[in-house]
Amino acid sequence: MEHPPIEIRNLTAGYGQNVVIEDVTMNLEESDFLAIIGPNGGGKTTLLRAILGIIPPLEGSIRIFGQGVDEGIRRIGYVPQKGNFDNRFPITVLDVVLMGTRAAKGYRPLYRRIDREKAKDSMDIVGISEFSKTTLSELSGGQLQRALLARAMAGDPKILLLDEPTASLDPQMKDCIYDALKNINDLVSILIVTHDIGVVSSQVKRIACLNRRMIVHDEPLITPDMMELGYHCPVELLAHGIPHRTLGEHDHD
Amino acid sequence: MTDWASILSISLIQNMFYATILASILCGIIGTYVVVKRIVFVSGGIAHATFGGVGFAYYLQSVFLISWFDPMLGALFFAIGSALIIGSPRINKRLREDSTIGVLWVVGMALGVLFINLSDHNVVVVRSYESILFGNVLLVSSQDLQFMLVMILVVLGLGAFFYRDLQIVTFDEIHARISGINVTLMNTLLYILVAMTSVMVMNIVGIVLVIALLTIPAAMASMFSNDLKQIMVLAVASSLVLSLLGLVLAIAYNVPPGASIVLTLAAFFLISMGVKTLYEKGYLS
Repeated sequence: MEHPPIEIRNLTAGYGQNVVIEDVTMNLEESDFLAIIGPNGGGKTTLLRAILGIIPPLEGSIRIFGQGVDEGIRRIGYVPQKGNFDNRFPITVLDVVLMGTRAAKGYRPLYRRIDREKAKDSMDIVGISEFSKTTLSELSGGQLQRALLARAMAGDPKILLLDEPTASLDPQMKDCIYDALKNINDLVSILIVTHDIGVVSSQVKRIACLNRRMIVHDEPLITPDMMELGYHCPVELLAHGIPHRTLGEHDHD
Repeated sequence: MTDWASILSISLIQNMFYATILASILCGIIGTYVVVKRIVFVSGGIAHATFGGVGFAYYLQSVFLISWFDPMLGALFFAIGSALIIGSPRINKRLREDSTIGVLWVVGMALGVLFINLSDHNVVVVRSYESILFGNVLLVSSQDLQFMLVMILVVLGLGAFFYRDLQIVTFDEIHARISGINVTLMNTLLYILVAMTSVMVMNIVGIVLVIALLTIPAAMASMFSNDLKQIMVLAVASSLVLSLLGLVLAIAYNVPPGASIVLTLAAFFLISMGVKTLYEKGYLS
């Protein structure tokens, strides 16, 4: 039997005695595009950190293609939030993207020609090639996100994890990022963590909501139970899964 | 007028220039990591902790007559020990890194003072502890130069071999971790390289002024370039030129070389900031 890209069973994780997520069970399937929504402090980043092996599970298990996190990590590409590193670091886009090829086995002090070709290909895929010699600090928010996406792709991952990739981007740039992700979705399974509940349901294949516990749906719909879990407010859904906050019972007429 | 031809023929003066050149090369390269990774405080902590090793060496030399245990060797042991402690994940779990550095900084200095106090002051040692605290590049011997040459080869060799991983760890530790890089090991390696560089620079400007050579050239270079390798090259070049200029000024005006080098660097740092500001405001094109 083939193993799913990510298989999480009854995962409890947190920092020391502080449990942030509890009894989370979910799968990320082949060519999946799953968005996890939820409030600040609900555990979205903690879940990503657990999948990346940065924090160990307190209970439960995470398998990546049937392997433990330490073995499976090389098959994951990760796109961090903007603030995870110093944006003023003196480095060009090409050098950032090349870092993605480091996941290949065996140590070499310098990048090889094949690494440079991979970096170039992944910059082409996400449409950032023209900025290859540009310094990171000179990029706009959308260009920076695409550069980080290219870095994640340069390691030939089978899974992409993205932490708030569209935060603080304008609507046009958000579409641009989602278009880039949809273009590569045949090659990789995508798990995205986002606050952007207004946009996400029209862009992804499935949605889950995480606020300590998790609700997963096999459709790209934000449902009332998710909103209750995530945001503790009564909601009804308008149009295509777009939530509309209500003040309890009220009349639509 | 200063008779430069006869001054430059003195072997101690020649050693002084060679030592300054070697230290400048290392400072440009390792100082670039110090500046872009924002670990100036780490380098200050390591540099000051070396005074404990200097004092320990004086104590062994004067009380137990262990003459081979040079202050530079003592400094190297303490510097590398401090680097290992600052990089230790066990300690970092319990203490904030800057607290660890603060403790090492003052304990190193206090141990130095204590050991020097316990030393037998009737035994003459080659280098005074003042010269190690505040620098006296005139006292660099041929043996010291050989020691410095070995250290520079080790530091440059390790720095070149691990350049790719050091760059990744310096830029983004989380990406480094998921790329399979041992982040703790790489950070510790970087601290050890800083430690070895500090011991070398200590000879030129003294413990108290080590931070100057590790930060000013790289900080100045980073104003004019956004590429790590270019910053290293610019930092080496500016460190070399300005340190040698500082030495020449020290000889010409008969002032302490350590202070002269640092103030020359600082003056050009201010000039660079001015030039950069004028350039940004469009007064220069």
